[in-house]
Amino acid sequence: MWTTVVVSGITLGSFYTLIAMGFALIFGVTRTFNLAHGEVLVLAGYAAYWLWKTSGVSLLFTFPAAVLVALVVCLILQRLFSRLREPLELNSIVMSFGVAILLQNGMLFFFSGDYRLIRVPTFNQGLHFNTLYLSYGQLTLLALSLLVIGLLYLLMRHTYLGKALRATIQDREAAALAGINVGAMGILAFAIGAILIGLAGPLYGCVHYLYPTAGLQATLLAITITIFAGVGRIRGLILGGWILALAESCAVVLFGASWRELVGAVMLITLLALRPQGILGREQ
Amino acid sequence: MQVARAAPVLGLVFLLLLPVFARYNDYVLQVFTHALLLATLALAWNILGVSGSISLGHAAFFGAGAYTSALLSLDLGVSPWATIPLGGVLAAGIAAIMGLFCLRLRGAYFALATLAFVEIPKVITDNWDGLTRGSLGLVGLPGLPSLRLGSYHFDISGSLAGSYYFVLGYGLVLLLLVTLMFRSNLGLALQAIREEEIAAEAVGIQVQRYRLLSLLLSAFFTGITGACYGHLIRYIEPGLVYGLHFSAMPMIFAICGGRFTILGPALAALVLYPVDQFIFHPLLPAGHEFLYGAVIILAILFMPSGVWGQLRKGHFVSIKTGSIE
Repeated sequence: MWTTVVVSGITLGSFYTLIAMGFALIFGVTRTFNLAHGEVLVLAGYAAYWLWKTSGVSLLFTFPAAVLVALVVCLILQRLFSRLREPLELNSIVMSFGVAILLQNGMLFFFSGDYRLIRVPTFNQGLHFNTLYLSYGQLTLLALSLLVIGLLYLLMRHTYLGKALRATIQDREAAALAGINVGAMGILAFAIGAILIGLAGPLYGCVHYLYPTAGLQATLLAITITIFAGVGRIRGLILGGWILALAESCAVVLFGASWRELVGAVMLITLLALRPQGILGREQ
Repeated sequence: MQVARAAPVLGLVFLLLLPVFARYNDYVLQVFTHALLLATLALAWNILGVSGSISLGHAAFFGAGAYTSALLSLDLGVSPWATIPLGGVLAAGIAAIMGLFCLRLRGAYFALATLAFVEIPKVITDNWDGLTRGSLGLVGLPGLPSLRLGSYHFDISGSLAGSYYFVLGYGLVLLLLVTLMFRSNLGLALQAIREEEIAAEAVGIQVQRYRLLSLLLSAFFTGITGACYGHLIRYIEPGLVYGLHFSAMPMIFAICGGRFTILGPALAALVLYPVDQFIFHPLLPAGHEFLYGAVIILAILFMPSGVWGQLRKGHFVSIKTGSIE
């Protein structure tokens, strides 16, 4: 049974990492917390659901639409965030909280409060390896998450653009002095973040029910993983995603499914209590 | 400014006469009773907010107060007048635990920790079926007993107007207490901490002690409001009383009204909630709460000291907006 826990933990954890990456990138580059992250994710899921339901296209073709929706919303968000005054971190939390309420009500208006799920029939079939069972849904989730994480890793590590982004994350002033357009990097971070959310959205719609207020849980797990990893460390994000998902799976097996929500909250508070100056503590 | 002097008096007269104006219309009374409850939440939230900390987790205290008072009065048959203060005490106890983990944090990180903290009492209440009956919630809470003063008999739970005047009375008492607090050494210390924590510490203010005290007081009154809410609505469940609504509303009202003023948060609740219910709810039955999202975005971008704060400029210490360089 514990192999199943580990396998599902790794699968879900990789997906958690995919969800957290956009949040971590935006926070790292612009120093703003986007509490509407989960809402954009759910909105991208709704876009995929709507397309899948009305036109009957396969899941694969819903990704471009979901990415487009996330891009539009995130670029508007970027305009709003760029107008914020100091203290940036706190004001960004308050404002994006307002954006989250706005998006929740928009989704309630357009999609109603009913629970929606993108049902892909083949996702419930699967492969047996001795005692281990893997559904095609889990395999798709794992493969796509790792693929996107890998692509982002290549972008950040092996391109000039990635270097500029990492420089901005490490030290804004020094990056600006070196001739990097820090403002443009902020827009780029939101754009890449939006693409990541847009790719995660349809997958989210396959594994979780979509409803207007579903986003808070996703936001919390993105915050938890980001705080765990610190900024600018993709490997830390993967580790954080796996640990969170494994801890959740263990909690579900040991105590029951209703205790799952507690795991992320306790992990976040513990991490914050251990590092009271926040992730950027050493610079302040 | 003239407006700033006249508005509170006119507002109070309006609130006192409202049931008569509204011809005891049920819906109007219900909306304003809830608006008054939200106003007390905003006042209580601002006891912490005035020190510069933003909490996104006050539903933890609201829910704890509601559940404590409801369970004690339902299962042990104690009068709500005794159980409501106990609800406040338990909420303060939960705040003490929260303070243990969160008070070392500042600014954004404090806000994030409080956002996560709500999940703890919520999930425990949801799962402790034997004590709290879990996610089914509690039905048939006793209403508030009527008050007797000599031959005078004030019926609270029997009529909507009674409930309305009870919450109005509680709100005025809380307003008086908050005014006294803000003008005492406590209030001065909290404002000094907000403006410049290091300087406050340097002049001998025990920063952590005052921050803890403001968190405990804020939680205590939030718990009392939660307990009253339970006895007025007569039905509570974890998703309702620990919901994001009761964390978000006081924060939104305090910031839109002006979190460095005494009256601002309460006024914002009394204006925005009725506007939402009377104007936007009929127009947009699904999604009318977008209003709260819109006002908080506008406030943080264009009026960070809040509407009332803007009107009262010059009556309080200026807001530090820049970071320490």
